[in-house]
Amino acid sequence: MPSILPVLFAFAGTAGLMTAAALFVPKGPQQVTIRTALMLTLASCYLMWMVTYMAQLNPLIGMWFKDA
Amino acid sequence: MGDEYPSLLRSEEMSLVQLFVPTEVAHDTVAELGELGNVQFKDLNPSVNPFQRSFVGEIRRIDEMGRRVRFFSTQIEKEKDVVPIRPLYDSAPLITSGPRAAQTVDELDTTLAEHEQRLTKMNDSYQTLSERTKELIEARHVLRETAVFFDKAQGHHEDIRSSFDDTVTPLLQDDREGGYAPAGVQFDLEFVAGTIERSRMSTFERVLWRVLRGNLYMNHIDIAEPFVDPVTGVETRKNVFIIFAHGDALLAKIRKVAESMGATLYPIDPNADKRSESLREVSNRLEDLQTVLYNTGLNRRAELIKIGESLRSWQDVVKKEKMIYETLNLFNYDVRRKTLIAEGWVPTRDITNIQLALRSATEGSGTSVPPILHELRTSKTPPTFHRTNKFTEGFQTIMDSYGISAYQEINPGLFAVVTFPFLFAVMFGDIGHGVIIFVAALYMIMVERKWAKADLGEILGQFFFGRYIILLMGLFSMYTGLMYNDIFSKSLHLWQSGWTFPDANGTVVGVATDHRYPFGLDPAWHGAENGLVFTNSYKMKMSIVLGVIHMTFALCLQVPNHFKFKRYSDLYSNFIPQFIFLQSIFGYLVVCILYKWSIDWSKATTQPPSLLNMLISMFLSPGSVEPSLQLYRGQGTVQVILLGMAGVCVPWLLILKPYLAWKEMNKTQGQHYMGIGHGDDTGDDVPQLTPGISLEEEEEGNGLLQTEDDEHEHHDFSEVIIHQVIHTIEFCLGCISHTASYLRLWALSLAHAQLSEVLWTMTIEGFLGPTSVFGWIELLVMVGFWFAATVFILCIMEGLSAFLHALRLHWVEANSKHFEGGGHAFAPLSFASQEGKD
Repeated sequence: MPSILPVLFAFAGTAGLMTAAALFVPKGPQQVTIRTALMLTLASCYLMWMVTYMAQLNPLIGMWFKDA
Repeated sequence: MGDEYPSLLRSEEMSLVQLFVPTEVAHDTVAELGELGNVQFKDLNPSVNPFQRSFVGEIRRIDEMGRRVRFFSTQIEKEKDVVPIRPLYDSAPLITSGPRAAQTVDELDTTLAEHEQRLTKMNDSYQTLSERTKELIEARHVLRETAVFFDKAQGHHEDIRSSFDDTVTPLLQDDREGGYAPAGVQFDLEFVAGTIERSRMSTFERVLWRVLRGNLYMNHIDIAEPFVDPVTGVETRKNVFIIFAHGDALLAKIRKVAESMGATLYPIDPNADKRSESLREVSNRLEDLQTVLYNTGLNRRAELIKIGESLRSWQDVVKKEKMIYETLNLFNYDVRRKTLIAEGWVPTRDITNIQLALRSATEGSGTSVPPILHELRTSKTPPTFHRTNKFTEGFQTIMDSYGISAYQEINPGLFAVVTFPFLFAVMFGDIGHGVIIFVAALYMIMVERKWAKADLGEILGQFFFGRYIILLMGLFSMYTGLMYNDIFSKSLHLWQSGWTFPDANGTVVGVATDHRYPFGLDPAWHGAENGLVFTNSYKMKMSIVLGVIHMTFALCLQVPNHFKFKRYSDLYSNFIPQFIFLQSIFGYLVVCILYKWSIDWSKATTQPPSLLNMLISMFLSPGSVEPSLQLYRGQGTVQVILLGMAGVCVPWLLILKPYLAWKEMNKTQGQHYMGIGHGDDTGDDVPQLTPGISLEEEEEGNGLLQTEDDEHEHHDFSEVIIHQVIHTIEFCLGCISHTASYLRLWALSLAHAQLSEVLWTMTIEGFLGPTSVFGWIELLVMVGFWFAATVFILCIMEGLSAFLHALRLHWVEANSKHFEGGGHAFAPLSFASQEGKD
């Protein structure tokens, strides 16, 4: 029975990485840019993965092929 | 209060500064500030005609020098293969600041004038010589061809003599005949010889025939080589003609007709010896002329090469000097103290740099009085300045194309660094295509130093400007390609699939196992009959989810703006109702999508309901949900509450802000009446509170500003209401239309995937598994065609399309939730920005 746990684990992982990015990007003229870019990248990649995973979690339609 | 480092989140803090510049050091100061590129000067003489400004004379001189430099440039253009131009970074610099500056510029002026004089003289003589050469060549042709005619005509002379005797003897009583040697050694009918354009030849003959009533003998021959006009380069073809006729009157007529038809006449001697002598003479003169022409050409080339050595540095100097004097014209000249007063905007962070520059300018020019910089307080809106580097420049530019951010408002360009390539990639998702554009961008970045100096042309220049954008687009496309499991329309089987296929005859049906494909779309879907049904549903729902989240994020960007501009009331009169409205309808939809996906419907009691119908019936029949179509227990109640919340938000958004503005207006109106009589409030001009302080000094900051606000309150209230009505309607309708607009993420990725698949099936697929050599050749050709179509159609065309749509999503759907705009860009005096242009 495929579970929803991977989604939650990945969420926790992404949140952790985002926090790390928020705290540990070194100070400098590009700090804000790098920090924002990293956090947004992590968030958007997680979102897309989550949607793709959840869409296939409980398939609503079966899969069929024509005679090969 | 300055931060340690600049950030792209908001515009930099700008200050209005005033510079007091002693006249001696003015030129050098502006030169230093221009090199620094940090000051935007204000025009302090707006009412002065450009011809009456102080530095008009210098500008005129620089313009004259500029004209000469342009002349040289065009002359070299015509011979650009032979004359090299030394590029700017290679040329010796001309120092135009410091104590010797005026001398350098004077010398430059003289040098340019001399060069121009020499060059024009050489050009003129070259042209004259070319024309002479042309004439001489024609004369030579005429001499050569007429020799043939004379020989031919020799044989005809008897016939003509007899005809004269028969019919026209009475008319030939004049002494013309007597002048001829009878039955002579030499045939001596008079003639006219010359050249004429080939196209006019037949007309010429006909006209002559009619005019002279046939009393002429004409012969003509083509000149083989065409003549090239040295100035225009146009080719003309000419013929040599010779006309024999008898009598002065006839000859005069012939000459007149020839001249009117544009023929050139040449004097030819009937004597053969004299003719050959003339031929020799002409040939000699021609040779001499051609030598002189060649030498002149060589000299001209040498002169141009010398000019080419320094041309770029001259152009640079002329440009800089012109900019410096135009800027100096903006300053205010204080005659008494012999200083120039300048005003300008600078980023507060850079004030120390500017002071250093001022000091170095003073040292350079050798005077002891440095320019003084002093900050002003003002209520004017400063220009917006986002400090970008070569990476963020592209992203900031594409967001600025929608509108320059207001001063100190949240900059959408910062977030676009990731959201733009990401949304692009959702529409472009293909690992192979992502790799192609990533590699292309990587190449451009590796040669960026060289390409930055070269002239790339418009199209390639645009791609080069956005190379970092394309790099990120490629990177994210590889990720989304992995999610869609699409590489050049094929799927990757990186992990174990979640579907098995038990043996069956007829239709093959997949059975879901306990395992789910962990990363991306299951490769089993590739090639399934109903694969598109699943993919479409997945992509459409993903578009809605991503869209609502993007819009919510953009909406929340309002909050820092409200805090920064101290509009705390906007938080609960604008932001909160907007947020609740968006979330109660579309946030709810997203939650339902995710919830529906997380339920195992094979074990549920009801059938999975259609979410779209659910949303529609939420509005059409609120509160009642059919039990068989229920998504969860208690759905009816929840939906009614949500609908109610959304319904409350509309009047909340509409009314609260104008109400607060009205209350504010009443309060100040009360205070207003308590002041010393300012006259009635029928909208008079702003009264002068203190005589003697003119409006120009409002920058100094005094109490004049307070009264202005009060006067404006009347006019503003109706504007506030109208603005709020428009804002409410726009937001509420926009929520629905923008959410649907995000479906373009699905549409474009579907189109891309289908195009990619069609390209594969129509090209390579039919030629796989070649058996013969011919088959291999066919396969190779097909691969080449497939690759070309992939690059041009799928990468470039689809890429541009997805770029445009991703940009639209940022400009319309996202910016409308928080962006205010209306700022003006910071445009500093900068020599560097001019160097790229020619």
